[in-house]
Amino acid sequence: MSDSTRRGFVKSSAAAAAGVTVVGALIADQADAHAAAASGPIVAYIREPRTGEISVMAGERQVKLHDRKIAARIARAAR
Amino acid sequence: MSSHREAPAISKDPVADNTDVYAFVSPDDPSTVTIIANYLPLEAPFGGPNFFEFGPDVRYRINIDNDGNGDADITYEFAFQTQVANPNSFLYNTGPIDSIDSPNWNRKQFYSVTRISRGRREVLAANLPCPPCNVGVLSTPNYDTLAAQAVHSIGGGRTVFAGQRLEGFYVDLGSIFDLGNLRPFENLHIGSLAAAAGVNGTNDFSVHSIALKVPKQDLTRHGVNPTDPMSPGSVIGVWASASRQAAVVHDGYWSNEHQAGGWLQVSRLGNPLFNEVLVGMGFKDRWNALPPAADKQFLNGVQRPELASLLPVLYPGVFPNLANYKKPRADLVAILLTGIPAGIVPGFQNFTGNVQADMLRLNLAIPPASNPNALGILGGDLAGFPNGRRVFDDVVSVELRAIAGAMIPLVDKSFTPDGAASLLTDGLHQTSTRYLSQFPYLGTPQGGYQTAPLGAL
Repeated sequence: MSDSTRRGFVKSSAAAAAGVTVVGALIADQADAHAAAASGPIVAYIREPRTGEISVMAGERQVKLHDRKIAARIARAAR
Repeated sequence: MSSHREAPAISKDPVADNTDVYAFVSPDDPSTVTIIANYLPLEAPFGGPNFFEFGPDVRYRINIDNDGNGDADITYEFAFQTQVANPNSFLYNTGPIDSIDSPNWNRKQFYSVTRISRGRREVLAANLPCPPCNVGVLSTPNYDTLAAQAVHSIGGGRTVFAGQRLEGFYVDLGSIFDLGNLRPFENLHIGSLAAAAGVNGTNDFSVHSIALKVPKQDLTRHGVNPTDPMSPGSVIGVWASASRQAAVVHDGYWSNEHQAGGWLQVSRLGNPLFNEVLVGMGFKDRWNALPPAADKQFLNGVQRPELASLLPVLYPGVFPNLANYKKPRADLVAILLTGIPAGIVPGFQNFTGNVQADMLRLNLAIPPASNPNALGILGGDLAGFPNGRRVFDDVVSVELRAIAGAMIPLVDKSFTPDGAASLLTDGLHQTSTRYLSQFPYLGTPQGGYQTAPLGAL
């Protein structure tokens, strides 16, 4: 993420079919108890679904989750 | 301009657009350094009812490099919050604002100051009030008093101000962006118009300034007060930045926007005009996202500036020596990317090492000038740009002359500058705007009621 601008981030997410989604329930399926317990909206960003890498953002926190199944499910839902 | 709307992406995000940075030994308090970071370009004074303000969703930073690697060793971070007293009113103020805690002011801003060093975050102050914008004679009848109430001592010898100021950067935007048709020299330009006096394109516009005055010891690597101008430890690098969170979702619920994720830099500024003039259109947004330590990738734009090749074309016969100079511009690399080494300007250096990084480089051991020259070092005044930058420094003329080759002989004695190189200007002077003699040094913003819209020449 260090070389990304926020605009590039948002633009690419809006343009790509695999884009951004607010997915509290979806993340909760797979994430650990700590993530599931987070309050407030959660944003998940998948830059490239094939890698299975999901950036999960809540408040100022941002962690990377590797899960090809979730990434693939979101990608299918986006198409 | 210095860095107003200088890149495609940030031009659409004025609240985060870092327009100018100043860093200088405080003339009235020379044991301290004042650093000013401006944002929000070209504020029209009458721009209500939602007058200009800092972004609560932006993190504003002043960064200091004191070991020459182009990364921040010390950062001062400013975070703002907005408080609306009466959400049912559409008004910015419901009566005269005669103090910054006036109940008549409906939309106040407050901020915190956090110092970050070696990974340690120290909150220096919180809930500091900003002044309102200068609305007009009835709403803000004694604006200087309001602004003075927003100058805060925050301990440790530090003083801070954040709020609206009169634009201090003067530049003839209309002529420069009209194919470099500098008004004093229009008769020499390929356009062949009659020469005219320069016009200050920023006249009476305002900006939002974050001004910080700190003891020199707050900034140096070993916490000392430098006294030897030739010591490497006397020089610091300074730049400012703005960051936004990685994601924004417009969810239509309450505030319309939800931000999430880590903070990503969307704007930065060290030397005036660097990104604007020396970085290609396709790379400006990327430059804004990077730290100075990454500037080596923009070296070619400094060594072979596009404007230097255009001057001989725009002004036929005026710059023959510049046209024939084919070497990489080591003078510009020194001024903008490494600092000026010892042995070039007698009694002076602001060299930070071989890391090529765009930063304002300030030699803290150079005292304020008793008789300042707005041309800075080019005018024989070691306390001015490019030794840091004072609010009144004529950086447009200095950089135009530098681009035209006026400073090449500092590093290449074989070159003789064209006669015009030492005369270049956009026809403006420090009297083109107004300043204060004390902190925060930038002038009182023009009131909205008292300002007429732009007119034709």
